[in-house]
Amino acid sequence: MSAKFIFLWLLVGIPLVWGVVQTLYAVRQLFS
Amino acid sequence: MAGFLARESTVAPAGYNRFLVPPAALAVHLSIGQAYAFSPFNLPMTRLLGITTSAPGDWNLPELGWIFSIAIVFLGLSAAVFGRWVEQVGPRMAMFTAALCFSGGFMVSAIGVQMHQLSLIYLGYGVLGGCGLGIGYISPVSTLIKWFPDRPGMATGMAIMGFGGGALIASPLEVTLMDYFKSATSTGVLQTFLTMGAVYLVFMLIGAYFVRVPAAGWLPAGYVAPTRSSSMITHANVEVDEALKTPQFYLLWGVLCLNVTAGIGVLGQASPMIQEMFPGRVTPLAAAGFVGLLSLFNMGGRFVWSSISDMIGRKNTYRIFFALGFVLYALVPTTGRMGSVSLFVAGFAIILSMYGGGFATIPAYLRDMFGTMQVGAIHGRLLTAWSTAGVLGPVLVNYIREYQINNGVPKAEAYSVTMYIMAGLLLIGFACNQAVKAVNSKHHFHGKVEQ
Repeated sequence: MSAKFIFLWLLVGIPLVWGVVQTLYAVRQLFS
Repeated sequence: MAGFLARESTVAPAGYNRFLVPPAALAVHLSIGQAYAFSPFNLPMTRLLGITTSAPGDWNLPELGWIFSIAIVFLGLSAAVFGRWVEQVGPRMAMFTAALCFSGGFMVSAIGVQMHQLSLIYLGYGVLGGCGLGIGYISPVSTLIKWFPDRPGMATGMAIMGFGGGALIASPLEVTLMDYFKSATSTGVLQTFLTMGAVYLVFMLIGAYFVRVPAAGWLPAGYVAPTRSSSMITHANVEVDEALKTPQFYLLWGVLCLNVTAGIGVLGQASPMIQEMFPGRVTPLAAAGFVGLLSLFNMGGRFVWSSISDMIGRKNTYRIFFALGFVLYALVPTTGRMGSVSLFVAGFAIILSMYGGGFATIPAYLRDMFGTMQVGAIHGRLLTAWSTAGVLGPVLVNYIREYQINNGVPKAEAYSVTMYIMAGLLLIGFACNQAVKAVNSKHHFHGKVEQ
């Protein structure tokens, strides 16, 4: 895997995972 | 500069890793997906003058609601108008233009906030930003289809998943930024617009920088184009203007429009709907969780369903969307009467996964019908179905609910008729999908196909 490959997937992956975690936090309210 | 942006400059060298292209496309789609998360700005924008409460002269919510509507209308219009241009100039120029428009939309809107001129925000985020949405949405589609002839559904689904995921990122980001920038004299909207405009500009330009088109005649290593001809996957190509003369284009327009209409109305009303159907049992906080869950299924469905379509075929995938959607919509009022929140939530989660799946599978369906040559431009024209559904869906849900309540129907049952109408729309969608057959060869393009 090249540095370019890792950079690009981290660039889009980190914000996406952050957004999903934030949303899961809200979803938790539905089941609490 | 123009040379760097030209299609010729983006042709990939031999041995280029094609898995570098999806994240470049995702960088654009994750940015423009912000459009679905404009609502956190609404309440603070009703207090721009009063700061803590609305003051005389402050804007109201219906006025602000038009910002999103104008943006979605211009998304469809610009995708339709600029689709052919996007095909001609290639993905880098298109992504670059989309980045300038989308980011510029935020900047012009920031000036609108500063001057307290709503028309500038309509023009900025609505018109300019909407053009960025439309051009950005279609810019990577045909490129991805050419890079992944073996898995076109999965490849475009991955990018279009980004549009769903963009809202998941933008919504908490906007709240965090406005919280950071707010002060005794500011709601923080102006600074948040400027920050997001700058961040999205950089993010989208990185995508534009890294995007590549495959060299003419390139095929993935080990890939052998299927020799067995399938009537539902063409090896020919159809020009965009010629595609508009085929019944297949209008049938697929109907397929997309009806699938989106059914989902978009629910998505906009999800929070009040679950609270009204289960009065006293679902709090506003839990309802927000329900909206979040729908967003996750909307995003996940884009990748999962479009990947499944590579295995079972596009027509079968839409058969499932419409048949299963029909059953689920018809059962929603029953789950309400049963008082089963979990069944209600599960039903809508599946419905929203198919809503996202419908968006993500349509580019590959178009490629199967019309070939790869101008699939981006044809997809652009088809997105007018989205604009239409964006008006039709919420109108159906909101006005029928209002009519029911005005005629004495209890709030908990006010959605039943709407759900049955949605189920009916999906039946029509099923019929449209059933009618899709291979394009008549008289429409095929016989000239030299440029990559």
